[in-house]
Amino acid sequence: MLVLTRKVNQSIVIGDGIEVVVLEVRGEQVRIGIKAPRDVAVHRKEIYDQILEENVSASGTDVGDVPE
Amino acid sequence: MMTSDAIETTRFGSVAFDVRDVVTLDEGFLGFPDAKRFIVLQHKEGSPFCWLQSVDAGDLAFLVIDPGHYVPDYAPDMPVDVAKQLELDEETPRLVYTIVTIPKGQPDDMTLNLAGPILINLENRLAKQVVVEDHRYPIRYKVFSQEKQGHSAA
Repeated sequence: MLVLTRKVNQSIVIGDGIEVVVLEVRGEQVRIGIKAPRDVAVHRKEIYDQILEENVSASGTDVGDVPE
Repeated sequence: MMTSDAIETTRFGSVAFDVRDVVTLDEGFLGFPDAKRFIVLQHKEGSPFCWLQSVDAGDLAFLVIDPGHYVPDYAPDMPVDVAKQLELDEETPRLVYTIVTIPKGQPDDMTLNLAGPILINLENRLAKQVVVEDHRYPIRYKVFSQEKQGHSAA
């Protein structure tokens, strides 16, 4: 993992056309702005983790439990 | 080239299939990144439920259903990156499935993952599990609400 330190209003550019900017730091929260082309997905990581977990649970569904 | 193949599955025994029916997820599923090829099996004659059975791992299958069956106004926005990845344009025929989770022995606690629908391009059979961030569509949408549970037959 590349680790960089930024101040408010400083940015990081990723690849071709993705920019991550620190907008505000308030206590424990960091407000981050992301400029990315519309064809690049951007999501909070928690949602990926939660979907992954739910996929794992779902993979255990039994044939016998399916409603008629 | 052989067009038919078979997979030994844990739920359905040996299942024969036409390779042209295989649905391909280039990234697999979150949690199952190597499971990229699936076939769709109807659960039972007349049932709205289907199984997405992996043709690479016989023990992996997801119970799925058209989300519109239980959530008629389900209409998440389709992200641009997904349309591009699946080569979908406005007129391309497509199918949306939601993964159903049923805790063991508890069909009344069935939930739908409305935040992670599966989108299938019916022309090229490419598919993807789409991440939908919409407060209306939770990862565990309870199909049978608390109210109904009291009235439903076991």
